Amino acid sequence: MAGSDTVLIVGAGPGGIEAARGVADLGKRALLVETKGDIGGTPYEYYATLTPDLRETHEAMHEMVTAVKEHPLIDLRLNTRVVNSEGEIGHFKVTLQDESGSRTEEEVGAIVVATGFQHFDPGRETQMYGYYEYDDVLTLVDAEQMFKAGRIVRPSNGEVPERVAFIQCVGSRDRQIGNQWCSKVCCGIASKQSIEIKRMLPNAKVFIFYIDMRMYGFWEDMIYWKAQEEYKVNYIRGIVTEIIRKGDKLLIKGEDTTMGRPMEVLMDMVILSVGMEPSKGTLEMANIFNLPREEHGFIATKDGGPLDTVSTKVPGIFLAGAAAGPKDIEDTVSMGGAAAMKAVATLNRLALEVG
Amino acid sequence: MEPMEIPVLKGGTKVATSRVFDRDPDTVPEEDLREAIWALGREGEWIVQPVPEPYYLAPTKYGRLKKIPLEHTWHHKSCGQCGHIPGYSTSIFWLNRLLGYDYFDPRDQTSCTAWNYYASATSNQVAQAAVAMRNFSAAYESGYFPMIHCGTSFGHYKEVRHELVHDAKLRRQVRAIMDKLGRPFVMPEEIVHYSEWMYAIRDELKNRVQYDLSNITATVHPACHYYKLQTGDAIYDPEIYGGQRTAAVTGVVQTLGATVADYSSWYDCCGFGFRHILVQRDFTRSFATLRKIEVMKEEANPDVVLTHDTGCVTSLDKSQFAAQAHNRNVGVPVMSESQFAAIAVGAHPFRVAQLHWHSVDYRPLLSKMGIDPEKAWMEFQGDLEQIKSGAMDYLTWEHVL
Amino acid sequence: MPSDRYLEVPLVEKQRLFDEVKADPRFHTYLYGCYECGICVAACPSARFYDFSPRKIAQAAAREDLELIYEQMNDDIWNCSQCFSCNRCPRQNSPGGLITIMREVAVKNGMRSMKEALAGYTRIIYKIMTTGTQVSPDMLQEDAFPDWGPQVKMVSDNLDLWRRALPPETLHTTGLSWQVEERTMQELYAIWKLTGTLDMISEVDEGLHDIMEEIMDDALEESGISVD
Repeated sequence: MAGSDTVLIVGAGPGGIEAARGVADLGKRALLVETKGDIGGTPYEYYATLTPDLRETHEAMHEMVTAVKEHPLIDLRLNTRVVNSEGEIGHFKVTLQDESGSRTEEEVGAIVVATGFQHFDPGRETQMYGYYEYDDVLTLVDAEQMFKAGRIVRPSNGEVPERVAFIQCVGSRDRQIGNQWCSKVCCGIASKQSIEIKRMLPNAKVFIFYIDMRMYGFWEDMIYWKAQEEYKVNYIRGIVTEIIRKGDKLLIKGEDTTMGRPMEVLMDMVILSVGMEPSKGTLEMANIFNLPREEHGFIATKDGGPLDTVSTKVPGIFLAGAAAGPKDIEDTVSMGGAAAMKAVATLNRLALEVG
Repeated sequence: MEPMEIPVLKGGTKVATSRVFDRDPDTVPEEDLREAIWALGREGEWIVQPVPEPYYLAPTKYGRLKKIPLEHTWHHKSCGQCGHIPGYSTSIFWLNRLLGYDYFDPRDQTSCTAWNYYASATSNQVAQAAVAMRNFSAAYESGYFPMIHCGTSFGHYKEVRHELVHDAKLRRQVRAIMDKLGRPFVMPEEIVHYSEWMYAIRDELKNRVQYDLSNITATVHPACHYYKLQTGDAIYDPEIYGGQRTAAVTGVVQTLGATVADYSSWYDCCGFGFRHILVQRDFTRSFATLRKIEVMKEEANPDVVLTHDTGCVTSLDKSQFAAQAHNRNVGVPVMSESQFAAIAVGAHPFRVAQLHWHSVDYRPLLSKMGIDPEKAWMEFQGDLEQIKSGAMDYLTWEHVL
Repeated sequence: MPSDRYLEVPLVEKQRLFDEVKADPRFHTYLYGCYECGICVAACPSARFYDFSPRKIAQAAAREDLELIYEQMNDDIWNCSQCFSCNRCPRQNSPGGLITIMREVAVKNGMRSMKEALAGYTRIIYKIMTTGTQVSPDMLQEDAFPDWGPQVKMVSDNLDLWRRALPPETLHTTGLSWQVEERTMQELYAIWKLTGTLDMISEVDEGLHDIMEEIMDDALEESGISVD
């Protein structure tokens, strides 16, 4: 029996958008479900500019966002969640629920899960960064809101900061917290943000405290060298262990491991480079579709290896983006395309088997 | 030059942000050891001594509620407290008596002997676990539940418990020793520090406060071994620094009505060092004064430093003499929160809190609290005269309550 | 960087000592690996006053750098204050815990550094092992604590009287922190004998060992507790 000719894509961030576009461009119907009221996902909602090219996010994503909204073969359901799934490859019976609580059942032949990540909540860090004690301790996301507003000021007093520090690996690479992975993008985002701060506040001193700087490929000279050479951002090897108010400043304590000595310096503002964790939606979809999770808690790929990054252990269900583990946007969009290709190939194969 | 009143920011433990952390219970990073303890009990590996009722449920670092017994407690005394700061233990006992709580002060108790572990390393894992389990079995056989006075003993016992839960071979070795001693092999359901009990009774104490403490500013030194060893099992309260730092001591002092002021080296160790306090005291003195007392003075100008461990009281108090001789910015009395709380609810500063065992001048603090230190000292001198003359063998509980 | 100190000590000896450290059951929970973040150093009191780094302790053990580990066992480990602030390590190492083990191995093997570090310490070991309490009231003597000021002398001058002015009955002591039952001490001696703790002392101070052994053997004989 031939299966449904529809591919369900869950989550309309960059990965889901690219997967929906791919499915539709390959001639199949794409049912794109998004719990929020708009598409574009985490970068579109929170980030002022993209890494590594520093383009304004809404402008950069305009083309893909519009394409999805206008494509005749894409059925976009906003404010809608997947609440149940039964059946199997070719014949998944999926229950969707909209804002008002009314439910509809859809039959789909294949599924792409693109539910992404959430930012680590710094309340769970095991150092003493005081995000829940001091307003001048921010996350990367809070900083992006300032860039969007076009004004960088200390939230505590509205003054322009003279010294800003980034702390890397907050919530990543940490056995105490239980997050034993590198979140891949935070080094790049912090470097990108340090450039933006220096562009807006040329007199500010900007520091990045790190364990290892990880900016692969072209990110190396596009953002790391650029920040160091053109913007004189201070990269200091060693992680801060404690932030505490001293007068109206923040005192940060750490070790400068290059110098091999403890270090205590005052800052006006500190930005925590919070890492990635599977989003609530990702965990929900793992449950609803019975998708096994890999040891870090993200959704597992079929064999966990490098040769197939999008197939899950359940036939007919594929992954795109950070639902499968920390991903940058390049990888996420690439996975969206690969997942679309495999999903459509699945529908075609089922049709052939029947024929 | 006249001494200058440095303004202190009030409400020091209130966070300076409107953000509120809400922990997702699924993200707790540690196993709940208590479940494992009960499971080992069901498997016959040991007897689990339950926390007696009535108990108080106190929040811990990751949101679990810890049972803190209010009474029927077996007081695991501290060698440093009993030896050199005896007002510390006396105040704990006195507060039990004041509240009418049933407790037991045992003679069948050794110290945790962690001096032999952290200081000189002249011990080993099995010996330390055996010392702990011998004490636990003594508590169990008395029918009272262990309450640990010393921060190091508390932290060390938490470590030992963790090792025993995870290491079947160690359990067998220690159990064999207990068999030879003819003692049962017992693990208490919770390992409880007296400062957690202080936290549990803070509202009881608040109702009994005798003096206006609103103009008293305290700085708190949280003891490393209380919360840095086995971090999950320590009291954290969302009301105190947004739940980001332990609430032991601070929660009690604030409830009593005094102000707790923050200072930027609160996380630092006191410099005790075990070996160092005895044979390398230049380190202890430097650290205790330069990194702790002087920072407190500069940033908070406290009337008193309060802490909840033996070694911390000793190093922070005794180290100030040499620094004072060099005209450093020191000179703050140091005591346990049990002594401070006892005085606040009416205990005699010498008969109970035994402040004459402390070095830094505590009289200005007493005066500021509304107590006449000279009058109190004369009263105590009267007691001593009676003991000297033979009219009284000892100062008794009847005399001080 | 391999250490160039102690080149006269053969590598096999350094290997033997490290093997002993590594064989301790606590070792595998105290060391995973080190990416040099420096959090342990930032939190460490000893790193502020000595040329001491808990990060180097963890890294040397992780690299199994025998030369450096041997150097640390001689020159560094006794500087640690055992506060365990370093337990905040995001890799979940415990440099302080590693040092506990390294010190025990240094004691058991009678290393020179240990003898220096524990010089003047024998009275304390004696006190705790024979009485079960350390820091007894009579230890507060002005010649031992000259830097603590005149208050120490006041305590020692009035010690008997002041101890009698303590309401808890168990505190009417001067040589012990509190009154400990005889049976309790006997049980403690049995623990020292059964766990090899008493044997460790012979490396620290042979004379001290012999004195304590005599006391403990006599007491144990009286107690009827078998330590065979």
